[in-house]
Amino acid sequence: MTTKHAALASALIALVVASAAGARTASTPGVSATTITIGSSGPVTGEAAAAAGVLKGADAYFKYVSSRGGVNGRKIDFKYLDDAYDPSKTVQNVRELIQQDNVFALFSVVGTNSNLAIRDFTNAAGVPQVFSAAGATTFGRDYAKYPWTIGYLPPYAEEGKIYARHILTTDAKPAKIAVLYQSDDYGKDLLSGFRSGLGAQARKLVVQTVGYDPTTSDVQSQVAQLKASGANTFMIFAFGKFAIQSFVYANKLGWKPKIYVNDVASASSIMKLDPQSTAEGSISILWGKDPATPKFAKDAGVALAAKIVKKYAPGENPSDGFIVAGMAEAFSLVDALEAAGKNLTRAGLLKAVTHMNEVNNPFLAPGVKVHTTPTFRFPISAVQLQRWHKGHWEPFGGVQSAKP
Amino acid sequence: MRFRAALVGVAVVVLALLPIPLSEFRTVQLATVGAYFIAILGLDVLTGHSGQISLGHGAFMAVGAYTTAILMSNHGVRDLWTIPIAAGVAGGIGLLAGIPALRLSGLYLALATFGIAIALPTVLKKFDHFTGGSTGITLFGKPTQTGHGAGVKILGKQLTNNEWLYALTWTIGVALFLLAWWLLSARFGRSLRAVRDSELAAAASGVNRSAYKVAAFGVSAAYAGVAGSLLAINVAYVSPDTFPIQLSLYLLVGAVVGFFGSIWGAIFGALLIQFLADIVGLIPHVDTKQGGPTTFFFGLVLVVLMLVLPVVLKVGSRVANRGYSRAS
Amino acid sequence: MTNLLQQIVSGLASGGIYGSLALAIVLIHRSTGVVNFAQGELATLSAFICWTLMDHGWAFWPAFGATLALSFLGGVALQQTVIRPIQSGPLLGIVILTIGLLIAVNGLDTWIWGGAAKQFKGPFSTSPINVGGVAFSKQDIGVIVVSILAVVLIGLLFAKTKLGLGLRAAAINPVEARLAGVRVGVMLALGWGLAAALGAVAGVLAAPSLFLEPNMMQTVLLYAFAAAVLGGMDSPVGAVVGGLVLGVLLNLVGTYVHWVGGELRLATALAVILGVLLVRPAGLFGRTAVRRV
Repeated sequence: MTTKHAALASALIALVVASAAGARTASTPGVSATTITIGSSGPVTGEAAAAAGVLKGADAYFKYVSSRGGVNGRKIDFKYLDDAYDPSKTVQNVRELIQQDNVFALFSVVGTNSNLAIRDFTNAAGVPQVFSAAGATTFGRDYAKYPWTIGYLPPYAEEGKIYARHILTTDAKPAKIAVLYQSDDYGKDLLSGFRSGLGAQARKLVVQTVGYDPTTSDVQSQVAQLKASGANTFMIFAFGKFAIQSFVYANKLGWKPKIYVNDVASASSIMKLDPQSTAEGSISILWGKDPATPKFAKDAGVALAAKIVKKYAPGENPSDGFIVAGMAEAFSLVDALEAAGKNLTRAGLLKAVTHMNEVNNPFLAPGVKVHTTPTFRFPISAVQLQRWHKGHWEPFGGVQSAKP
Repeated sequence: MRFRAALVGVAVVVLALLPIPLSEFRTVQLATVGAYFIAILGLDVLTGHSGQISLGHGAFMAVGAYTTAILMSNHGVRDLWTIPIAAGVAGGIGLLAGIPALRLSGLYLALATFGIAIALPTVLKKFDHFTGGSTGITLFGKPTQTGHGAGVKILGKQLTNNEWLYALTWTIGVALFLLAWWLLSARFGRSLRAVRDSELAAAASGVNRSAYKVAAFGVSAAYAGVAGSLLAINVAYVSPDTFPIQLSLYLLVGAVVGFFGSIWGAIFGALLIQFLADIVGLIPHVDTKQGGPTTFFFGLVLVVLMLVLPVVLKVGSRVANRGYSRAS
Repeated sequence: MTNLLQQIVSGLASGGIYGSLALAIVLIHRSTGVVNFAQGELATLSAFICWTLMDHGWAFWPAFGATLALSFLGGVALQQTVIRPIQSGPLLGIVILTIGLLIAVNGLDTWIWGGAAKQFKGPFSTSPINVGGVAFSKQDIGVIVVSILAVVLIGLLFAKTKLGLGLRAAAINPVEARLAGVRVGVMLALGWGLAAALGAVAGVLAAPSLFLEPNMMQTVLLYAFAAAVLGGMDSPVGAVVGGLVLGVLLNLVGTYVHWVGGELRLATALAVILGVLLVRPAGLFGRTAVRRV
């Protein structure tokens, strides 16, 4: 240890100490006379980076609201950190947000595993973990054990059931179904919901299921295997690039099944893949407005979203469905914060998010409402089916329930 | 020798007082630094002193972390007692891995350990009935967690949970540092370096080369196991994604930053792994919200160090050798 | 049966990608004794450059040509700036330096192009050709043909040209080569340039089917290592054959060995690496055994 080392060491220590300075007082953490600090964590980088659009959309919407006077006179300070889809990084981010940045609440933390990893901690600390961008059923169901946690998205299992119902009711010729799923809670939730939706038929109709690990480079072999099963229906319970690969490989193999693609992989940015003929006729669900859908072209909510993106998130793609989804979540949070009143407390926010009755969210599809009670904690429990046609989604059929 | 002992004394005092001015969060961050510190010490023993490279030390950390997590959540073993078990399990696996490693020259050992680090997360996910799969295992609030996440009372003094984690990690960290210091300055260390510098000469002087190389693997893996165990206890959560190839590579960067083989330098490497993102964030116009810049600078630091290291190494090894011979 | 043939055909197509990256790795290993861990990331960087040119309206072939040239120059520059200064130092030092490059280039890609996957339009059509129930595309054929073509060209270069002779001489015995008038430094730099250009080929071949993102080659690198080890670290032919064999092997094991499934592909490749290194270190085509120390 030379003096040079020692100097370097003390410089490092000084740096640590300096960056540690942070205010902590006030009765309610994260709430001052002029601001509310909200925290989040999500995959800004890594294989799931597309989902970070949710955080960018929410951030833009909060800035927009703040510029117009904020909520009950307080501006919203939204701080989100990158976890690259690694749940243990999420845990550390959330610690930083709660213990260092003193956030009032966590909002829209992205990913099922990430939310599972942090909920023991947030509930022990009594910090609201609200409107998580994750669709595992447990976030709405297990409120007795985890009162401070609430999700937002329609539960994956229900999504799977809706596809099953659609197959059972519409298929003239008997379906032979092949499923590609991500081997984690998210993919397995969809698969098990799908199976239970098919009920007694599942054994007969599902001819092949194959999992993949998201660290793999491609799903070429899996898709070839599914094709070889002789299936005429292809369920894509995959995310991001693996969803695109599924379409492209099916095409490359000359396989033309009827395709169902799960909600989180159905953003128009993903579906605009090449060649387009592959995606034609695919079915998915929607609950937020996809700006690329012609039906919403003149929609006031989509126009507002575009305006907000242009001003507060320049450089982001205004027709990215994830961004609008993030705005929908942010709109609901602002509603809840308003309802929680001027004298903002964490318990007050919890009460507000479990008494939602929001019918005017401009970023949600018509007929989709945000409704919760203390014993029913699935904010979005209605969805509509949509079909990909000529380069965009076309909603069809009525709004249907996705209540567990 | 006296100077170095004094330095350790000063370090212990600084470590003990550090949490006072620091926030809760910085305290627990430094606890994580302690876990990295221990892992890098292990890597120093293996690569720095016995000349065997490992690009997969994150895998041994994973063994330790999962040993702790599984024992705590499924078998009701209190977190503290899982630490020596984790050391034993990881060390045992390290010894076993050391035997085939004897047959591989440096380059091929690098390849093989790199492969292990890349493939490990998928294997952990596959055996999900055992490891909890990609959902991982949450330890927070488990009855086996000392203080149940709420804080611990030691010698009449109430510590917060974060202060407790810090105290635990660094107590073990300092102990393992002293152990490494003693090991490396004793016969064990001299023989390791003899084998590293000239296998032939070492063999001629009657050193059992294979035994020493395998032993180095075992010791190094045991250190990594303790580090993994402490990381699991600190974060109170483990999942396969906690141990990506990047972790193993960052540990290597950490070891190089510590001038390879100088266990004194391990602290710089450990601090770098934890705080590089914050340091890079100080550069104007660089957005560290996006992981790219931090990763880039990690790589850059390694490249630059390797370029200047031949110079540094020469100076360093002279200093180090003098230190060790004096210690004997 | 159809599935078996289909898996073999798909495996060959993936294997072509592994083989072409393995070829780049072998080329450097053969001429300098170093394994370049950054080879995969450099290939990804090349693919990003090609993508950017095409994004600016270039057609594929000019963009590809420019990428090859840039990659070659980049490889030479890299050798000159960071490898040459420590060329005479311990081998492990250079290997660790290439790991630094791996990390840095990966970070740079993310920094510049972001993390989301991009669709990359390659030169070959992806529309299916059906032969007896087995489907493949021109792209698949293209990948296999290009990787074989690359190894043939490399073989000719080494065997028939004066440059190739110099490259070999510099690799085998730098001291004598220098005495014989070979400019060893230039040869080593050219070796890195060639490898970088080959890596660019691998990256551009991979991008249309794997989709371009910063981690695209991270797992492919392990497959390429497995291919190179399987074929013998010093054998260009071995690299490509190893790649093709590995591609088929991974598909068959993933499809027919149930407890492996699609999830343990990487572990299977690792098993190949460990198995070959411990049982037959020279690989299938290698002549020199791994130096045991």
